[in-house]
Order: sequence, then structure tokens, then C-alpha cells
Amino acid sequence: MSAWSFYIATLVVYFGVDLLSGWSLNLQYGYAGVINFAYIVFQAAGAYVAATVTLGPSGGSTTFQQYVFGANLPFPIPLILAAVAGAALSAVVGLFSLRRIRRDYQAAILLIVSLIAIQVVESDVALFNGSNGVTGVPRPLFSAFGLSISSWEWVYAAWVLIICGAVYALVQWLGNSSWGRALRAMRDQEDAAAAMGFNITALRLQVFIIGGAIAGLSGGLLVEYIGAWSPGAWGYAETFVIFTAIFVGGVGNNRGVVIGVLLVPIIFLEIPRFLPQIGYPGLIFSLQWIAIGIMWMLCLLLRPRGIMPERRPIALRGHDRMTTPVSTQK
Amino acid sequence: MWYLIVSSLGFGVVLASIIAVAAMGFTVQLGLTNVLNLSYGAVMTVGAFVAYLAASWKINAWVALLLGGVAGAMLTVFLGNFVFKVYARRGARLFEMVMVTLGLALVIEYAVQAVSRDNIYQFAVLPSASLSWGPIFITVTQLILIGLAIVVFLLLEGLLKLTKLGKALRAMAVDPSLARSCGIRTTQIVTITWLITGFLCGMAGVIYVINSQSVNYYTGQLFLPLVIAAAILGGVGSPRGAVVASLLMGITTEVVSALGGSAYSTVAGFGILVVVLLSKPSSVTGGASGNVQLTV
Repeated sequence: MSAWSFYIATLVVYFGVDLLSGWSLNLQYGYAGVINFAYIVFQAAGAYVAATVTLGPSGGSTTFQQYVFGANLPFPIPLILAAVAGAALSAVVGLFSLRRIRRDYQAAILLIVSLIAIQVVESDVALFNGSNGVTGVPRPLFSAFGLSISSWEWVYAAWVLIICGAVYALVQWLGNSSWGRALRAMRDQEDAAAAMGFNITALRLQVFIIGGAIAGLSGGLLVEYIGAWSPGAWGYAETFVIFTAIFVGGVGNNRGVVIGVLLVPIIFLEIPRFLPQIGYPGLIFSLQWIAIGIMWMLCLLLRPRGIMPERRPIALRGHDRMTTPVSTQK
Repeated sequence: MWYLIVSSLGFGVVLASIIAVAAMGFTVQLGLTNVLNLSYGAVMTVGAFVAYLAASWKINAWVALLLGGVAGAMLTVFLGNFVFKVYARRGARLFEMVMVTLGLALVIEYAVQAVSRDNIYQFAVLPSASLSWGPIFITVTQLILIGLAIVVFLLLEGLLKLTKLGKALRAMAVDPSLARSCGIRTTQIVTITWLITGFLCGMAGVIYVINSQSVNYYTGQLFLPLVIAAAILGGVGSPRGAVVASLLMGITTEVVSALGGSAYSTVAGFGILVVVLLSKPSSVTGGASGNVQLTV
């Protein structure tokens, strides 16, 4: 029973973290048209920072691992620092990758960033303990509440959901603000938006940094729950899962993203646990990724706007064919 | 320190010649079709595995190299005609196509993982006696690889500059619709492009594992960043540029590695690309607002 309770609570936490990822990427891709193939790097940055500022100084009680920024900060501060780390790294990466270059080059460069970042963290052990990763992150507020482990898990899951609610309100508000309209204008007609006086590069950078902050926050939330973080957790394919969720759920629609996240990272990735083992150990894992890839390609082919597509502005309804923005033209 | 730098030059040239073969294929493919093909690395892995299988059946190393190339060519032609073309017909544009190729990369990569059982395979086919010349140490295999890269470069340049097919390819790269109205059979030329670049891609995979002597499902994808960077750096569509860029990146990577920053050696190679991007050459800014069309 307690195993099931743990499993469900963990799923809720993962669901919350993936939701944050989905909304963050949706803000970047769905609203602004920035293809952030390095998304998972910013989540990882948040996770590493949250882990190391909770773990205490490197080489102290935990001599088996080494890392930078060792500190012993109380509960909400690591999460804030995680968001700051995600935003700061996004600013650095965005400054060179978000210039006005061909969008396909931009996507490729961000993918390269993702592949290189993992190589650096794996080979420079002094940074975040190499490919073994950091582990033993203490549970926040565990002793303060005096809870049993299983009820702490549920308290934490509720806390993650509260943050999700706040972030949902934030992304909805941002998306519907005049800034959000500028993002969509930039996505649909970049030259026209520039002619209207919007600074395209600055808009891209802003959405990239805000998305990066949410990414860092989601990483921090996750690492404080699972207690460990290593390069195995942030392969470039993980970004892809979230993208698939957006494509399945609805590009540019935050409620659609909820459906997508429920379907792809939660239900789809959890089903194999309950299947009987076929072939050698690990075969199901490979097949799962193949299926994700196929699902992604089918979505692009058949339903590129998702189950719940973005609501078209009233001004565009009716005479769709003539004035449909380029991004929705078939 | 100078000794270190000079000795790392040798490794740099070796790495450069490996990057160069892959980057020449990539740059011609990108220049002509405008598909930024992120599944290129996965196809390289397939070529490498075919060569591994061939070598394990005691087939001659040169034949194995060719077989790897043929596998890459066949797979690329298949992808070009049955995947990319389908998406292009349904209105995919440049950056949707990038996503399609990334999806393909995932499918191919994990299919290879499923078939190879996620193992690392040893791959030692060519003789590797070591030669030394001053501070530079190099194996016979590596000399062969450098020679191979030079031969590939000369053949590709010859094909592009001296033959009628090459003229058609270059015309297509500049303006596909004008080429079409001049009587060039564009569909055929695109298929030929997939064939040639796929062959180079498969061969590059084999060359890479001949040097690294091991292959797993992730091999090609790990190498892809260097290839893309070299292709963009050298100017898309130009094999000559790709070779120069490969030399620059290969030597930078190895020199940084020799000077003690082995964790950051790839980053240094990549840093050059960043500098180029910051200085905004016309090669990467073209079509920021969508005037480049897919030719699939």
C-alpha cells in the first residue's frame, strides 16, 4: 500500500514538473516560435544548483562527491536560486543563439548546446560530480513538519501542484498580455512585427529567459523530491518528450499542454512498467523511445496544432485561407 | 608547451579529416536541399554498424568501408523520398523539417540501440603501427584516413566543378526553380544528392569508428555537433569551406585538449562557431525571414 502511495505521489510530482516544462516550452515555442532544443539543460542547471546549495559545502560530510557552489541554505532559497540559475544560463545561451539567423540553424545550435553541455558536465568531474551526479539531497522541511515519509511525499506533491497553479496563472497572464500578443505577432509575421517597432531579438531573449527561469524552477522542484541528479536524467531526448507532449496536446494552448503532459510523459512513459518483459532487459526502453519518435513525427504530419489547438483571434475567424498567418498555412 | 602544441597538431589533422568527410556530405546536402538534417548522425551510426557487421564476417576493410557508405546512401535516399518529401508536400517549412529530422534521429538511434542491445562493440580493422616524425605521432591507420579525406575532397570537387552533373547540382543549389525551367530534372538531381551525401555520411561513420575503434548506438549523434558546426562555419554548400572549417575545428579541439582542458575541447571547437555567429556572416543570416525554400 505504501509502495503504491509512494508511486502515485511520485507520479503527481513528475506530472507537476512536466507541466511546468510544458508551459515553459509552450511559451517559447507555441507563443514565440523559438525552438528551444536545449530546454533540458536549463532544467538541469536549476536542479544542480538547487541540489548543491542544499547539500552543504563540497568535501564536508559528503566526501564521495564534489561540486561547485556548496552551501547549506534553508528551504525556499534553493528553489529561487534554481530559477535564477535557469534564467542566467538562458541569458548567456540566448545572447549568442537568438540572433536573427535562420530558424532551422537556431534549432540546430540549441541542440548542439544540449549535446555539449552534457559532455562538459560528464567530463569535468569538479563541476557537478561528473557522470555519477550529485546525490543525497535532503528533503526540504522534512524535520520541521515532523511528518512520516509517506505523508511528506503527499505534502510535497501538493506543494508542487500549488506552484503549478501559480505558474499557470503567470503564463496565461503573460500570454494574453500585450507582450504575449507581440510574441505571437513575431511568430507569425516576423518582418511585420519588426516593422511595427518590436525589437525581435529582445522579445526572443525575454521569452527565452522567462522560460529558462521556469525550467530552472522545475528542475529544483524535482531534485528536492527525488534527491539526486545526474547526466542520465537530462539527455537531449528528454526535451523531445516535452515537445511531443506539446504537439499532442496543443501548440500555443496551455490547457492543451495539460492533456499532452498527461498523455505523453505520464501515461505513455509509465505503461511499460506494467507490461511483461519482452526480449532482453532494456528492449522496452528502446522501443519506448522509438514510439515517442514515431508519435512526434505522426503529430507533425497529421495534427500539427495538437488536440486542443490555439484559439484563433476573432479578427482572423471566417476568412481563414486568405489571412492565415504563415505558421498555420498548409 | 610548444612541443605539446605541435604534437597535438597531428591529432588535430586526423580529427579534421574525420570531421571533413562528414561535413562535406552534410554541407552539400544542406546547401542543395535546405534540409538541416539532424538525423545525419544517426545515419552515420548505421553506416558504422554495417561496417562492423561486415568486418565481423571477415570482409576486407575497404569493402566494409564501401558497404557502410552504401548503407548510408540507401537509407538517406529512402528517408529523402519517403519521409522528407512527404512532409515537404504537406507544407513543412525549414524549421518544421528540422523537427522531422530530429524525430527521425530519435527513431533511428533507438532502433540501433534495440538491435545492438545497447552494447559497445570493438572495431579494429586496419593495421595500426605507430609512426613518429619529430613530436608528431601518428598511426598508419590515421595516415590512411587523412589520405581518404583528401581523395574524397578531390573527387567531390571534381564532380561539382568538372562534370555536367556537378553543374546541375550547383545550379540547383543557387535557384531550384530557375534550374528547373532551364531543363534540369530537379527530382532526379535531388535523389542523386541524397545518394552522394548519404554515401559520404555512411562512410564518415565508418571512418569515425575506424579511428575511435569502438561503436555504440550513440556514436554518430555525439559527433554530429562538430559536423554541423563545420558545415555552417565553412559556408553552407561549399565542400572547400567545410574542409577548411574542419581543419580549424579539429586543430583547435586537439590543441585545447593537449593544453589540459580536455573537458572543454569540444566546447572550444564550438566556440569558433559562436564567434562566427556573433559576427553575422551572410551564410547564416540568409532566410531569417523565410525566403529560403526546401528543395526535396
